[in-house]
Amino acid sequence: MFLINCPFCGEREQSEFKAGGEAHIERPKQPTELSDDEWAEFLFMRKNIKGVQFERWNHAHGCRKWFNIARDTSNDQIKAVYKMGEKPTVK
Amino acid sequence: MLNYNQTIKEKKSYQGLQMNEVKPVMKLIVRGKKREFLSAIGKSLNMVLPIKANTSTQTEKLTALWLSPDEWMIFSNGVVKGNTNTYDTEIILNKNICKLNLGAVVDVTDQYVRIVLKGDKVYDLFQTGSPFNFNEFRNKIGSVTQTIIAKVDVIIHNQNQNEVNLFVRRSFSEHLFSWMNDSASRL
Repeated sequence: MFLINCPFCGEREQSEFKAGGEAHIERPKQPTELSDDEWAEFLFMRKNIKGVQFERWNHAHGCRKWFNIARDTSNDQIKAVYKMGEKPTVK
Repeated sequence: MLNYNQTIKEKKSYQGLQMNEVKPVMKLIVRGKKREFLSAIGKSLNMVLPIKANTSTQTEKLTALWLSPDEWMIFSNGVVKGNTNTYDTEIILNKNICKLNLGAVVDVTDQYVRIVLKGDKVYDLFQTGSPFNFNEFRNKIGSVTQTIIAKVDVIIHNQNQNEVNLFVRRSFSEHLFSWMNDSASRL
């Protein structure tokens, strides 16, 4: 359990949010030209690192907006919260 | 108002807490992002939509709640006629917003149930089932929040000191009301 600072509503508890998986994964421009392996890489393969990970979250029980957070997976500390389309402020 | 089975049939009173449904109340969800949308709403209804997060604005007849950066709920302060499903406010907005493609207006009168809670134990009741921190909310009249109570999505509006409007989806309302009664009996 941790608090997330929704960029629209302010600080709320995690149970109001839904996690949306890894952020900044770009859809290939020409999926038909990819091999099956490359397509599977895009569809299924996700990082699962110990450390800062960039994730998409949705304030499902609040404003229902999507945004990105940079979360340290080892201690659930949130390093940055930023809106969709923006670049992360931490590395 | 459509013909429906009323889920909350009676007013409930406890020490420091009264709960009842107010109906029929017109409720509309308006959505839009353009600046023209905001000014068109302002001109049509003679009220300004709240831009600041978690706030509301009120006129004599209507209240507008901030739900998200491009979504608001407008509801009538008092009860409306129960024998019709058309409302002047909706007709005006349909003409000035929808027809001009500025945004969307949806009638959610029958979708949401408005429960009014009064008394000094209101926030003690919410505390038993919500992860939201009501400390700032309770001191600021006009505050709005969307959160969960007993895993049910609700919209809560601070109407007055120790008086709140709670909007909940109709299909959840009976369960939430019985849960709140159960919880209130143990406060």
